[in-house]
Amino acid sequence: MTGNSVAVKVEGLTKAFDTGTAVEGLTFEVRENEFLTLVGPSGCGKSTTLRIIAGLVPPTGGKVSIRGREVRGPIGDAGMVFQSPVLLPWRRTLDNVLFPAEMRGKRASQYRQRALALIELASLGGFEGSYPHELSGGMQQRVAICRALLLNPSILLMDEPFGALDILTREKMGFELLKIWSASKTTVLFVTHSITEAVLLSDTIVVMTARPGRAKAVIRVDLPRPRDVKTLRDPRFVELSGTVRDHIEAQWVE
Amino acid sequence: MAEPRAMRATLAPVRRAAETTVGIAALLAIWQFGAPLARMPEYILPVPSVIVVKFWQTLRIQAHHLGVTAATTLAGLGLALVVGVLLALAVIYVRPLKGIVLPVLAAFNSIPKIAIAPLFVIWFGLGVEPKVLLAFLLALFPVFVNSVTGLGEIEPDILDLAKLVGGTELRIFRKVRLMNAVPYITDALKVAFPLALVGSIVGEFIGGNSGVGYLILSGQFNLDTPLVFATLLSITLFTTVVIGAVVLLERILLAWRPSRRKR
Repeated sequence: MTGNSVAVKVEGLTKAFDTGTAVEGLTFEVRENEFLTLVGPSGCGKSTTLRIIAGLVPPTGGKVSIRGREVRGPIGDAGMVFQSPVLLPWRRTLDNVLFPAEMRGKRASQYRQRALALIELASLGGFEGSYPHELSGGMQQRVAICRALLLNPSILLMDEPFGALDILTREKMGFELLKIWSASKTTVLFVTHSITEAVLLSDTIVVMTARPGRAKAVIRVDLPRPRDVKTLRDPRFVELSGTVRDHIEAQWVE
Repeated sequence: MAEPRAMRATLAPVRRAAETTVGIAALLAIWQFGAPLARMPEYILPVPSVIVVKFWQTLRIQAHHLGVTAATTLAGLGLALVVGVLLALAVIYVRPLKGIVLPVLAAFNSIPKIAIAPLFVIWFGLGVEPKVLLAFLLALFPVFVNSVTGLGEIEPDILDLAKLVGGTELRIFRKVRLMNAVPYITDALKVAFPLALVGSIVGEFIGGNSGVGYLILSGQFNLDTPLVFATLLSITLFTTVVIGAVVLLERILLAWRPSRRKR
């Protein structure tokens, strides 16, 4: 499943703002086709880390390399999903999913079949012609996930993608994401502050400390795939969630 | 129970239109029959029937002068659209310009353009130039301000997304900025058009021998009040047509917007 070669290498990453240090000396690795999640309290620099890896923001110290090449600007073949769907309101579902192809300068028609397949996979069949305002929040976010996957990105970056959804939709979206991801198996870097979400989705969890963010623990999630609702009741799931929680709560005492 | 309610729903727009028509008819009736009762002389307030007759009698003159005003107004508006959008692009793409262009335009906008209209007559004479210039200057500011917002204020996440798949600024401009700006620019047109019309008419008040502004002035000189009102009717018809055209354009270009009821 997960390859042995390193896809993303983060070494001693530091980001200081005028207001303080967000991330300090953060080090971790993401292997090829791995689903890795950064978990930590709000403001621990998770999102900042993601944006640095994407090359959207330069770090103040340390370095990020993707498949051996150091990141020095927007990485060019990444898919990204944000907390809000940020769909273009004047585009229908299909055209929103095709947006990255047009941005890369490709003919949208070349990607039509793939876009339709992704839309089908994301249980959005029948909504190809809907405008964003006609879709629910969860549906909009699924459109955003399809859009991020259109060009088969070598890395998918997800910044608290389900953070704005209600708790029930959120749980369902986790399973939807696993379904979509299992069809492409790209490398995923996921950011969340939900422990359940992290354990359910990931191969590896990096627990970060409160600001400034550092890697506190790296936890391998050895739950079998495919995972579904039953996974939530698996004793191993409960045990792993407890381990993550312990690492986070340990900071409260410190 | 469901049936009468459904019928009421389908009849709602018809009822609303009927209410409007009855309301306007009532106002016109009060004017038509109330003015003579109040012994209002025609040179003060002519009744609607007299105005309509006058409008009909002077149709050719009205059409000629309205044509002149329409031409200078639309030329000024078109010029404002081109210059306003170009200035907005300059401000968006050449960051240092923002600190220069914005305060200069804001300062200029604080001068009532009408106050400097006589200058334009000195500089450009009594032809169409000062009228177009006034219409242009009055329409420029709203077009510029809305273009800066529509073309410039794009969700940062969308711009990041575009960069992460190799989007160039040209592609971002065509597929994101331009589309984002459409509703802002049609909104600006609805504000800028009446302003451009004011510019043209004020220009005609100040000098020249054509346009609806001139026609109104000649009505005033001859105490031909029905002519003044008939000309106002012409202007109203023109405004209605232009605003109607902009609304139609919006319906076509902005079909994606949620309907007002849902908002």
